[in-house]
Amino acid sequence: MTKYDGFNYDRDREIYSAARVRALESLLIEKGIISGETVDKVLNYFETEMGPFNGAKIVAKAWTDPKFKAQLLKDCNAAVSNIGLPVGMSGAEGEHMKVVENTAEVHNIVICTLCSCYPWPTLGLPPYWFKDPTFRARAAREPRAVLTEFGVDLPAETTISLWDSSAQIRWFVLPKRPEGTEGMSEEELAALVTPEAMMGVALVPSPSAA
Amino acid sequence: MKIQHNLAGIENLGEIDFQKRVFVVPWEERIFGIHVAMMALSNHLDKDSVPDYSISSVPTTFDSFWSWGHLRMGAEGINPFDYFKFRYYEKWLGGISGFFIEEGYITEEELDAKTALYLEDGNLDNAPLPDKSEPAIDAQVIKYLREGDSPQRDVKVRPKFSVGDKIRVKSITPTDHTRLPSNLQGKVGTIDVAYPAPYTYFFPTTDGLGKPMPVYNVKFEATELWGELAEPNNVYYNDLFETYLEKAKR
Repeated sequence: MTKYDGFNYDRDREIYSAARVRALESLLIEKGIISGETVDKVLNYFETEMGPFNGAKIVAKAWTDPKFKAQLLKDCNAAVSNIGLPVGMSGAEGEHMKVVENTAEVHNIVICTLCSCYPWPTLGLPPYWFKDPTFRARAAREPRAVLTEFGVDLPAETTISLWDSSAQIRWFVLPKRPEGTEGMSEEELAALVTPEAMMGVALVPSPSAA
Repeated sequence: MKIQHNLAGIENLGEIDFQKRVFVVPWEERIFGIHVAMMALSNHLDKDSVPDYSISSVPTTFDSFWSWGHLRMGAEGINPFDYFKFRYYEKWLGGISGFFIEEGYITEEELDAKTALYLEDGNLDNAPLPDKSEPAIDAQVIKYLREGDSPQRDVKVRPKFSVGDKIRVKSITPTDHTRLPSNLQGKVGTIDVAYPAPYTYFFPTTDGLGKPMPVYNVKFEATELWGELAEPNNVYYNDLFETYLEKAKR
């Protein structure tokens, strides 16, 4: 069995796509559908305001503030609307978000077998592994095998809960706070949290293990 | 059966490429941005949206209905064997270009001609985008990103099921576009959450979506879905529209 080589196409194919999309964007600008700056503004929004750095701050706050954590698990949108994050936490693809918590008993993984539903305001845009048909096909049936492949070995008695996204809720995971982080600030904690940990395919590593 | 609707559980696929980047080549960012602009300028936002966007006053020549359903239907309409040959954003590029041609904004000939021009030169840096500013379009796009397009609707509907009910997922005929993973058809699960307000799906489908309806979080045991291929200690939850569910007899 060979690895799917979908990410390495020959140069001609990439050059063609690059020319095609430039042609399309130019025509849309010429015809007054979008402006010459629209696409750049969209990309800038996700680079500077809505990215996984928001989710990391939310996770770090939940680890240090039990009241906030309880609210986050109960009503994510209400909890994240008022903690100093950019305006728009209930914006596009974040209108209805829910958070599930990893514990010693349950490990959660978020998937989207039909497409690539992802909570944009808190986690930004989905990485390629999440959109990959191989991941979507395999995680649904053999999540534990996929986790092992990604370097996460859980005890056999831990239940794995899969959260598939076929309707209008966007899910993310509150990972377990790693050992050896007592006394760390929210900012230091946030720096440990990755998008993969907030989708449940990675753990947050203990800083002492680094 | 349509493979795009039935990815879950396909065997013998090999190792997953754990690629953490969002875009693997720069052109992919551009088609993503175009899609977001179409979502933000879609004419359905004028009448059927929360919040209310005054799209008709935005100075764009775009006057079409574009939603996730349109984009997804494109990918679900590809020949299933071809679906796996295209990278994620290649499917977007094909679907979105096709939509602009079909709706009459551009012709295939002018898109081909412009593409050929850029290919001939071989260097996109020599061909900057038209310098045309329209702040009111950009403002609407960012407003849409910040305020969203909530599908939740404040209408009274009486949910058919309550928490704890056993349901069976209906068997439906393959459609152009669906929000039901095919591998769930015929399976029995338990209502875990009955969401308090109904949700609509902006893009009407022939399998019953398009009007506000209850949505449930349904819990399935992995053994119900996969039989003896199931991994131990595994449960699967999915948010499913009510139209896909019926009362289970067992």
